[in-house]
Amino acid sequence: MPREIITIQVGQCGNQIGMEFWKQLCVEHGIGPDGLLEDFATQGGDRKDVFFYQADDQHYIPRALLMDLEPRVINQIQNGEYRNLYNHENIFISEDGGGAGNNWASGYHQGEQVVDDIMDMVDREADGSDSLEGFVLCHSIAGGTGSGMGSYLLETLNDRYSKKLVQTYSVFPNQMETSDVVVQPYNSLLTLKRLTLNADCVVVLDNTALNRIAVERLHLANPTFKETNSLVSTVMSASTTTLRYPGYMNNDLVGLLASLIPTPRCHFLMTGYTPLTVERQVNVIRKTTVLDVMRRLLQTKNIMVSSYARTKEASQAKYISILNIIQGEVDPTQVHESLQRIRERKLVNFIEWGPASIQVALSRKSPYVQTTHRVSGLMLANHTSIRHLFSKCLGQYEKLRKKQAFLDNYRKFPMFEDNDLSEFDESREIIESLVDEYKACESPDYIKWGTEDSEKAASSQGSLAGSLDSKLTL
Amino acid sequence: MDDTATVDLVRELVLRLLSPGGRSSTASNNSSDAAVRYALRLLSSRMSPSVIPDELSLVESIKRRLALSGRSSSALGFADLHSKLSARAPLLDRWALLYLLNSLSLDRHRPESSPASGLPFLPLHPPHPPRTSASSIAGGMTGGGVLLVAKDPENIREIALREYADLFMEDNEVSESALVRDVLYACQGIDGRYVRFDRSTDGYDMPESLKVPKPTRSIVRRLCELGWLFRKVRGYISEGIVDRQFDIGTVGQAFCSSLQDELVDYYKLLTVLTSQSANPIPSAGSDSGGGAGNYLSLRRLAVWLAEPTVRMRLMAVLVDVCGELRGGAMAGAIHSHAQHGNPLVQEFMGRLLRRVCSPLFEMVRIWVLEGELEDVFAEFFILSQPVKAESLWREGYQIQSSMLPSFISPLLAQRILRTGKSINFLRVCCEDNGWVEASGEAVAHVGATTRRGGLGYGDTNALEALVVEAAKRIDRHLMDVIHKRYRFKDHCLAIKGYLLLGQGDFVKYLMDIVGPELSEPANTISSFQLAGLLETAIRASNAQYDDREILDRLKVRMMEHGDGDRGWDVFSLEYDARVPLDTVFTALNMKRYLKIFNFLWKLKRVEHALTGLWKTVKPNYINSCIFANESFGVKLQFVSVLRRLQVLWNEMNHFVTNFQYYIMFEVLEVSWAHFSDGMNSSKDLDDLLAAHDKYLYSILEKSLLGEGSQSINKTLFVLFDHILRFRSLADRWFEHIHELQHRRNKSKLKSKGELGKVGSLIDGGRKALLQFSRDFFGKMSEELDKVAKEYSAALHDFISQLPLQQHIDLKFLLFRLDFTEYYSRVSSNK
Repeated sequence: MPREIITIQVGQCGNQIGMEFWKQLCVEHGIGPDGLLEDFATQGGDRKDVFFYQADDQHYIPRALLMDLEPRVINQIQNGEYRNLYNHENIFISEDGGGAGNNWASGYHQGEQVVDDIMDMVDREADGSDSLEGFVLCHSIAGGTGSGMGSYLLETLNDRYSKKLVQTYSVFPNQMETSDVVVQPYNSLLTLKRLTLNADCVVVLDNTALNRIAVERLHLANPTFKETNSLVSTVMSASTTTLRYPGYMNNDLVGLLASLIPTPRCHFLMTGYTPLTVERQVNVIRKTTVLDVMRRLLQTKNIMVSSYARTKEASQAKYISILNIIQGEVDPTQVHESLQRIRERKLVNFIEWGPASIQVALSRKSPYVQTTHRVSGLMLANHTSIRHLFSKCLGQYEKLRKKQAFLDNYRKFPMFEDNDLSEFDESREIIESLVDEYKACESPDYIKWGTEDSEKAASSQGSLAGSLDSKLTL
Repeated sequence: MDDTATVDLVRELVLRLLSPGGRSSTASNNSSDAAVRYALRLLSSRMSPSVIPDELSLVESIKRRLALSGRSSSALGFADLHSKLSARAPLLDRWALLYLLNSLSLDRHRPESSPASGLPFLPLHPPHPPRTSASSIAGGMTGGGVLLVAKDPENIREIALREYADLFMEDNEVSESALVRDVLYACQGIDGRYVRFDRSTDGYDMPESLKVPKPTRSIVRRLCELGWLFRKVRGYISEGIVDRQFDIGTVGQAFCSSLQDELVDYYKLLTVLTSQSANPIPSAGSDSGGGAGNYLSLRRLAVWLAEPTVRMRLMAVLVDVCGELRGGAMAGAIHSHAQHGNPLVQEFMGRLLRRVCSPLFEMVRIWVLEGELEDVFAEFFILSQPVKAESLWREGYQIQSSMLPSFISPLLAQRILRTGKSINFLRVCCEDNGWVEASGEAVAHVGATTRRGGLGYGDTNALEALVVEAAKRIDRHLMDVIHKRYRFKDHCLAIKGYLLLGQGDFVKYLMDIVGPELSEPANTISSFQLAGLLETAIRASNAQYDDREILDRLKVRMMEHGDGDRGWDVFSLEYDARVPLDTVFTALNMKRYLKIFNFLWKLKRVEHALTGLWKTVKPNYINSCIFANESFGVKLQFVSVLRRLQVLWNEMNHFVTNFQYYIMFEVLEVSWAHFSDGMNSSKDLDDLLAAHDKYLYSILEKSLLGEGSQSINKTLFVLFDHILRFRSLADRWFEHIHELQHRRNKSKLKSKGELGKVGSLIDGGRKALLQFSRDFFGKMSEELDKVAKEYSAALHDFISQLPLQQHIDLKFLLFRLDFTEYYSRVSSNK
């Protein structure tokens, strides 16, 4: 069973989107809620063993680890329709069950304390695979468990499985509404540092954009978490189709990510999906040709990351790479045509320091899922405008930090003992340097960036030094 | 004639003519009397020359003749005399006079033996005593000569005619009835008494010495043509039936037998004629009432034999044409003479061809319905060759165009060939018997004409209908068998999945597990072990769900290897097509597949190398090994060289990925889509073969493996080699880097732990380490520059060659590679 991928879902948000993701996979592979293959699921060609393994009694069991510091969401799963799907040994709930109280430090610290339990589970799953490809982490970066415990997990995985891939689906908080989590900027910043240093690929799921899409595209007045989560699960399942339906190319996660992430730092991906529908909602059937799909994917309104860029900056933003995964029955000759149109109309701006192009992967659609549209598409893109999201995070952090607000909650934990807030500063520097690097990517001279300009070099040096030190403190 | 004066004058003239030198003797008295009588009879006859009495033209012709013979003065004299004559004696029948004189003068110039055209001879010599044989025929006979006998109320003319006949008879040595009999003999190819076959002139003739009037001789000769023709035909038949029986084949035999039948009719006719020839020929002047009904004169014979002659002539022509021809060629040759406007000929040829073609049509019928080649004498237009089962379809049977009769169109012939071939293919290669039903259905559909021998010449439409029906059903059945029983498409998909690397997960895994093995020298690799690894890869990937029967055909193959070859160079996969599908997947085609596999495998290997490198440089990994701040310069060096490495990696990866996308979309999938269409619309195996060949060819051409793209292909492989070299260099660099890092960490820990005590020593060590790092990065940077330079040179070479390629789809490749116009920008900056 090669190229297995172990999914780790941490925290409330992580478990919610994880649950939706598994539901979706089950439906697509024709696996019932109890893990048994449905009678109609006879059409082969799909590859279930990347995400599932089979128990002795033919049950398909997800390679999933469910972790939370409070029992609410996981209990929901355990009492829900899919309760028999998961391996119960793979569920971890903190004993005290008090949660992390939306405190990154608490989550991180608790993670540190239960590391043996957690890593036991991870090791067991890893041992159960033939040639483990990597881990996928689902979490949010704003809360306590997903961000704090997730951060700790990332560092540990990086340490222990440095040769395996670590991909995350990270939900960024909604920046439009005032959150009940006031320390969200702190949590985000601290998590972002780990995402920058300890993950190989981060798929950014911006709740702001998800809400906007739900309202604007799906015409839902007040989108619930369930609805936005179903968007997330659609994206997650679509981005893994090439792994689950093997074809000539993109059959493993490395191959998929390698082309998307040419430079290691810039590994934050945006996604776009079209046509969007939510369960039980009959959408207007739209024309879905390859060109339509590919063109719509390039429109900002379909992209699940908000663009905070000002117009001038937005015009300078560039794509480092694009991968379109087109699902459905597609005449391969249409692909070339669509690419040609897109180039003619100059719909995409690519980096200038190297060759780039829109990659298109054609993938089969699950025969068990009926859709009203023939073709659907997912875009995974590495776009420099994502730096504005990080800048926004930084800005919010600065605001809070200036006021020295809410820092007491953090000082309770070992990392910030004795008013040692260097972790915050380090994180800030790293994120700044990340923003700079993305900015540098917009210029044709990226190749020389950070090596000649002494000022910039100095700044990057600081951040890099920080990274090393942070490692050493582990 | 009543005029005695005239009689006296005539007598005078005759006597003068007969007695040269004015000598008159009693001996000649007798003959002179006869001559006088003859002359008188001539004069009293109403025979007239068959020319229009036109005085002027006669005069002109005489003048011309005189002038031509050089006696122009005589011509002038003649003209003068003629004008005088016409002036003096206007009432005289000048034309008759002139005609007589002219004829006489012409006569004098002729050799004696030649028959005169105008005037009958005067017998200068006494007639020979009549022969017994001639005289024995009662009533004598009349010779030739066109006699216009006018009705004469008075008997005189009749008597004169009889007398003339008697006279004439006396002139002939041979009686007409004897000649008739001889002619009849000759017509049966038997030498008669007088008429014999003369080898030197190749014809029937009477001996020169025989005294026969010229017209008789000529009519005999003409009639004897039939005999000559008959000899020829009979000769051919007897040769065909007896000597060359096995040589001429069934068609020839049919031809002979139908000729024979024709001859039987002919014999019948001759018998009737012979029996009639026994009836006496009424001699001229004899009572016409008696045997007028059934007697046979040469003249009557000519009428009787006119039609058989035409027929015989036709047969002789056919015999000539057929000559050494056999089978279909013979039928074709005969057919080419059948297009004739004469209904008689047409009817005859139709009869003949029906017979001749019947064995041929029977062969077609059996071939089309049962696939049997009943062709003992090799006369069918389809030729079979003993071949192995795999090449049965392609080489087993061929159309022999020389044997293809022209009434079967090449298209039909092709169809006939294919139908029987399909049956044989089903029988031999597919071991299938369902075709029996298919051909049964075809027979039922077409109807009665399909019985044995039911088809004949002229039923070409029926034949075509039969062939079409049979072809339709058998082809459909064959396609069914190929598709359903032998699962052609599944095999194509399997080949696409395994040999053309479409089954990505399998290929990936195989690459993973055989990779280390293949890096060894080729001669140390055990193909047995590789087979085991192949099996592992199958089990580990989705290939495991494939049919076992298909998977069993997948094999590892090691190609010929020389010194220094690595496993990579010789490893390949092979698909065992087996009978009957090896007709499609011939050895040659499998070789092509092998070529494509090797190319795609190499491409995958390069991709594999690049993703492997990416994993070494992958984000979380590389972030953790960034150098610390205390060695600022070194870190900067590292960052710089690393970024250049990444940018180069990106460029290579871009190339390889897009090349792969091109291969997938523009080559494999598009070709497959076309092939798939072709496969579904193929009605027979030939269509299918053509579709498959096209599929393979298009892949070869578009993947730069064709004949015309050798140089660009070479460049491509240079590029691949650069990439692989880059990978191994990079592996080495990173090994060093990790080692450096390890040492640095160690020294750092030491420095932390034992700070102060041996600080200076460690400091020294660190300096050395720093120096070492600096040197190393310098070297690495140099090497990287070199690789980058070589790579971009090769890439430039490749891209500049792309537009020169003939295949139109290669522009897609250029389009993909240069999507952002990065390369056009780079080259325009140069």
